[in-house]
Amino acid sequence: MNLTPCKVLTLDLSEGIPELQPDPNYEQIRITFWWHGIALGQIDLSSQQLPLSAAQLSNLAAQEIAPAVGDRLFEKGFRANLPLLPPHACEAPEDFDKLVNLQAPLQTLHQAWAPLSQSSLSVVICTRDRPEKLAVCLRSLQSSTQPPDEIIVVDNAPSSDATQQVVTQMPGIQYVREPRPGLDIARNTGIAHSTCELIAYTDDDVAVHPDWSARIRQSFRDSSVMAVTGLVLAAELETEAQQIFERDWSFNRGYRVLTYDQAYFERLKPSGVPAWCVGAGANMAFRRSVFEQVGTFDERLDVGAAGCSGDSEFWYRIMAEGYTCQYEPIAVVSHYHRRDMVSLSQQLFYYMRGHVAALLIQFERYKHWGNIGRLGIAMPKYYLKRTVLQILKRNQPPAKLLLTEIIGCFAGIKFYLQNRQRKPEN
Amino acid sequence: MPYAIRNIEITQPLPSIELDPSEQGIALIVRRSDRPLGFLMQPLPEGSILSSDAIAEWIGRKLGVKILQDSIRDELGVTLDVTTFPTLTVAICTKDRPVTLARCLDSLLKLQKADAEMETQFEILVVDNAPSDARTHDLVLSLPTVRYTREPKPGLNFARNRAVQATTTELLAFLDDDVVVDRYWLNGLTEAWIENPDAGAVTGQVMPYELATKAQILFEQRGGFRRGFNKIRYGQVMPHNRVYPCDTGSFGVGCNMSFRCTVLDKIGGFDEALDTGAPLPGGGDHDILYQVIRAGFPLAYEPGYLVFHQHRQSYAKLRHQYWTWGLSLMAFVVKAYRSDPPMRDRWLGLVRWWFANQLRLLAKSLVGRHSLPADLVLTEFWGGVIGLLGEYGRSQHRSEKIRRQY
Repeated sequence: MNLTPCKVLTLDLSEGIPELQPDPNYEQIRITFWWHGIALGQIDLSSQQLPLSAAQLSNLAAQEIAPAVGDRLFEKGFRANLPLLPPHACEAPEDFDKLVNLQAPLQTLHQAWAPLSQSSLSVVICTRDRPEKLAVCLRSLQSSTQPPDEIIVVDNAPSSDATQQVVTQMPGIQYVREPRPGLDIARNTGIAHSTCELIAYTDDDVAVHPDWSARIRQSFRDSSVMAVTGLVLAAELETEAQQIFERDWSFNRGYRVLTYDQAYFERLKPSGVPAWCVGAGANMAFRRSVFEQVGTFDERLDVGAAGCSGDSEFWYRIMAEGYTCQYEPIAVVSHYHRRDMVSLSQQLFYYMRGHVAALLIQFERYKHWGNIGRLGIAMPKYYLKRTVLQILKRNQPPAKLLLTEIIGCFAGIKFYLQNRQRKPEN
Repeated sequence: MPYAIRNIEITQPLPSIELDPSEQGIALIVRRSDRPLGFLMQPLPEGSILSSDAIAEWIGRKLGVKILQDSIRDELGVTLDVTTFPTLTVAICTKDRPVTLARCLDSLLKLQKADAEMETQFEILVVDNAPSDARTHDLVLSLPTVRYTREPKPGLNFARNRAVQATTTELLAFLDDDVVVDRYWLNGLTEAWIENPDAGAVTGQVMPYELATKAQILFEQRGGFRRGFNKIRYGQVMPHNRVYPCDTGSFGVGCNMSFRCTVLDKIGGFDEALDTGAPLPGGGDHDILYQVIRAGFPLAYEPGYLVFHQHRQSYAKLRHQYWTWGLSLMAFVVKAYRSDPPMRDRWLGLVRWWFANQLRLLAKSLVGRHSLPADLVLTEFWGGVIGLLGEYGRSQHRSEKIRRQY
């Protein structure tokens, strides 16, 4: 396992292809390939594989991005596999002549995504005591190519007024204080203060792509889609903690669209629907109407320093009620993973606690036994396997992290039992 | 028994294909603007008709991504400067097979002639290896643009070293006499060398010349000599590959490979104890490609640099070939293990992997979940065992004896 710092490089192929030189400060490099702001693929190289000439790099790029380009230009033939399903049979693209006669696929793709959508968009950022990071996030939003109609910062049980000061210095941003601690409480407060058709969430530790707001609006073209999640890239991979997080917990679900519809839900219901695969709270959006139809975020979840279960429980509910969630990697944010191992460990504890609590809440709400199956069979099996590998020392993250995760799981059961009385009204 | 082999140019209207009553399957070489993009094969009932729609569906399903990839590559539009292409000699080492050689030269001469109008030009050199008669000599004499030289010491690597000595150009490409070059062969070779000016070697794609017998079809169904349709640049490291660069089989095949002559000189040419002919007819390509990487040079694999190889026609010869593959691979492994201490852990890893993999193939074959018959797997496995047990030393001995004779 190579956990030396990795350079993160963004390469927009429409701006010309450079010769790639090694950077003496890094042993590895991750390149994401873009075309006019559309992310299409990535590749990890060792510095020893550099330099690469423009011709060599463009061969690699063409190979890497072809599936994502095909996925955006054709209905069939380039679909990605959905998580936990067996690989689907290979299909032919629907129109062979179109495929063969396509002269400039990248230009075609760029044009297909040029028309803007005029749907109104609120962006909600829930934050607690991280004013400097929040400022970075807000500035990225303000330099959007098609800025949101409103930006709401929900200041969640702050210990000082530093956040308020940052927000009031920046024009056009609404500040709301939510004294009750809890990420999902804050998210619901955001809904109550927003007025637009679409509500997008991002976190205070991300920077959004300039086109993010525009792409979120475009991603709701299909009227059956109630929730959209986007691509979350690592903004930097400088430390061991960031590398472990990106390798084992990455939010990156690939560069092709994934549609989680009712059929998917029904197929995986018996064994447990992996709602957590749908996306990440740092880059998600909803139609306002879905909150009327399936309720708001469950306020029992995500109480703590990190959360990733209030969102997945909500996607679970959307699918269970027969609506569609869509992963649309055209909407991109960059996430600053936690830099030190202590923060990572704490994050994973809360992740697992929240995950287990969410499984129990999903079961409580729908009596879908797949959730219990995951909790009682799949997860113990998974952790047993990892424990064995840990003992054999095969490229594992530190044992302490594994232990923290397992403790987090038990904490989740305890947490659910203590809080189950506080059912939401809706 | 035979399979039909057809070229399909996707930028032209697709044909429909009717199989002869004797043909039991079909193989397609799929091209886009002449560039080979894929190879497809499947058994079909005798006398089947494949409509153009069925062909479009088949190609779309299997090669959709490749077609798009190629058109993206065009759009990215990195232009290559053809004037930088170095001078080239194409050497064919041959022994007593004038008919096969004539077929190979014929395909090559077409490119050499077509070249007269283009920028690049290449020389053709035939190395006549310990001939038992003058037929090869006479054949070459009748072709004014082909040079002839003779290597009296029998053994392919003796002949290859003769070619190295007789070459004055910057690049030297080797072909076996039982191949026919594709019409795109020179384009692929040129492109790869221009894209990788720092490379020590470039290897190419090998497809079947014919699928006439059970043995040939069997071999090709198992992947044949094909190495895929992506350009690959092998360097000093390959992330996530624990035995790299000892998995030398993936680098390419000796019947279609080319080198920068200065690099060959630096390495000291071909090891004459490998690829010796009958007793140890292999390993030379593994060895030289490994040496190129270990000398610090990149190696490129180019799918458009394409030849058609006539596979062994009889099952007995195919089985013998599996034997020699096992034997010569392991003979080479022993040599590399001894001569390259920094890589020893990886060589051990490779040997472990290879034998475990053969056993896995054998098990699969025995329960009928693998198309390769168990006797072929066993033969290769056994060849590997003998190869490990002193074959390289024996071969060194034999080639030393030959050297003394001449």
